[in-house]
Amino acid sequence: MTELDGNPMIRVDQLTKRYGERTVLSDITFDVGPSEIVSIVGPSGCGKTTLLRCVAGLTQPNGGKVSIAGTAVTEPPEGVGMVFQHFGLFPWKTVFGNVSYGLTVQGMSRRDAVPRVRQLIGMVGLEGFEQSYPHQLSGGMQQRAGLARALAIEPRVLVMDEPFASLDAQTRDLLQLEMLRILEQRPAATMFVTHSIDEAVLMGDRIVILTGHPSHVHDIVDVGIARPRGREVVDSERFRTVRDYLWTVVMKGQDEQLARASQGDGEASDRHRERTAE
Amino acid sequence: MSTGLASGRRVIGRLAGANGDAGGARAAASRRERTQVFLARLAAGLGILVLWQVCAMAFAPAYIARPTGILGQLPAVGGDQAFWSAAGSTLLAVVEGLAIAIVIGTVLGLVMGRMRDIDRALRLYVDSFYAMPIVALVPLLTVWFGYTPTARLAVIVMEAILPIVFSVAEGGRTLSAEFTDVARAYRAPWWRVWGGIALPASLPYLLAGIDLAIGRALVGAVVAEFIASLNGLGYYILFNVRSFRENDAMVALAVLVVFALAVRGLVGLFVRRGLPWYRAG
Repeated sequence: MTELDGNPMIRVDQLTKRYGERTVLSDITFDVGPSEIVSIVGPSGCGKTTLLRCVAGLTQPNGGKVSIAGTAVTEPPEGVGMVFQHFGLFPWKTVFGNVSYGLTVQGMSRRDAVPRVRQLIGMVGLEGFEQSYPHQLSGGMQQRAGLARALAIEPRVLVMDEPFASLDAQTRDLLQLEMLRILEQRPAATMFVTHSIDEAVLMGDRIVILTGHPSHVHDIVDVGIARPRGREVVDSERFRTVRDYLWTVVMKGQDEQLARASQGDGEASDRHRERTAE
Repeated sequence: MSTGLASGRRVIGRLAGANGDAGGARAAASRRERTQVFLARLAAGLGILVLWQVCAMAFAPAYIARPTGILGQLPAVGGDQAFWSAAGSTLLAVVEGLAIAIVIGTVLGLVMGRMRDIDRALRLYVDSFYAMPIVALVPLLTVWFGYTPTARLAVIVMEAILPIVFSVAEGGRTLSAEFTDVARAYRAPWWRVWGGIALPASLPYLLAGIDLAIGRALVGAVVAEFIASLNGLGYYILFNVRSFRENDAMVALAVLVVFALAVRGLVGLFVRRGLPWYRAG
């Protein structure tokens, strides 16, 4: 399933990001193919969201670069749909208004947007709720609207920041599979950030594992489970193997983090100084 | 009739996913509560009027205002051309001043709320302006603008604009970063971020500001009329009190109160009807 040999849609190249003195991401390099789903996992606070924001052009890296379809990202690029952990729906807009946002904000009239928006609202299972406001919907339904909004712009690239993390377990299971189904119909180069290892394996063609302080790419795992995928893949031998490997790596990272924290801050900040001095 | 209403409420309760009987019981309880509130208000209002009447009759000279006197003067005041001219003049000026204050105050508030450098530069002066009694400026304004309705309008705008600026700036400052992220990620042009995100997100704050501004605007109008002797309810009150016609003055005062309550009621209605997302959120 690797598409590294062709032309990647997203290329993250030696990306480094600092916040003040603190280096969050160091020398991150990986690619995402045009219809590939790449999961990003790592311990909490490892900069997964920051990485995603760099790809979406919402923040600029301090070193290295991100390019989409060969063009360097210096501002939010065209054709990038973003799905947010807390949905990011505008409470004063209806479902229709929210889903059509990416189109109308570019100057498309509401009338012209109707067919496409109708179709997507149907695709995510929200028919009949076009005129509802987000506060009238459950969390799962709100994220369906968030998904439809991202798909409405017919994105080449989808970036998803823990999109199912604030949903209950059953809704999450349901939406994971629906997401996979939708991505079969509308392929896009997809970056899927998650802190759930099972979710990373279920959704991803490949998995980028971030570890360390600052985070770097520890490994890129080829999941090697063919698409389309259904719930049954979680029982497969391959799924278990990949999941267990991820567990070991990510948990080891968490342990190291804890150990470092207990050694005291002095040593850690020394290391930071060395790194910034380099 | 009442059972039909109750069953209708039950249907709505079921549609909303609530237990029908519980919904009906809740509706009945809230109806009972509304009746209780109404009765309590009526009792308190009558009590105050009776106390006022008794005290005025027992201790005060005949020209001091009292409920029966005000009631008796109502037809005469209502038929008085001068009264309606005064009321129209003051209330129109207040509406006009509020409108100007809302437009300028919203723009200024959003700019201060969204642009930190401008907030840093202006905040001290806006704070000082807010702390200052604007009515102290009225003598100056009557020199600058003359003894004209323009001077009154200036006072009203200055009174009304400050709570609006403060409130909208607060709304702009607390605008969720997630909303602006969404707007940027979907490549919204800057004017759509301001008009399409910052403005609607600050709308509840604007309405809270208007709620505070209405009282200040009326103070400004009345004081300006006192000082500049302009035709209006403020001057009508002053003139009648000085002519020992306190009951007439009280009618004008009542109009000011009713007007303030009506504007605040409209604001509340708009929040309930126009901003369902705000009440629920």
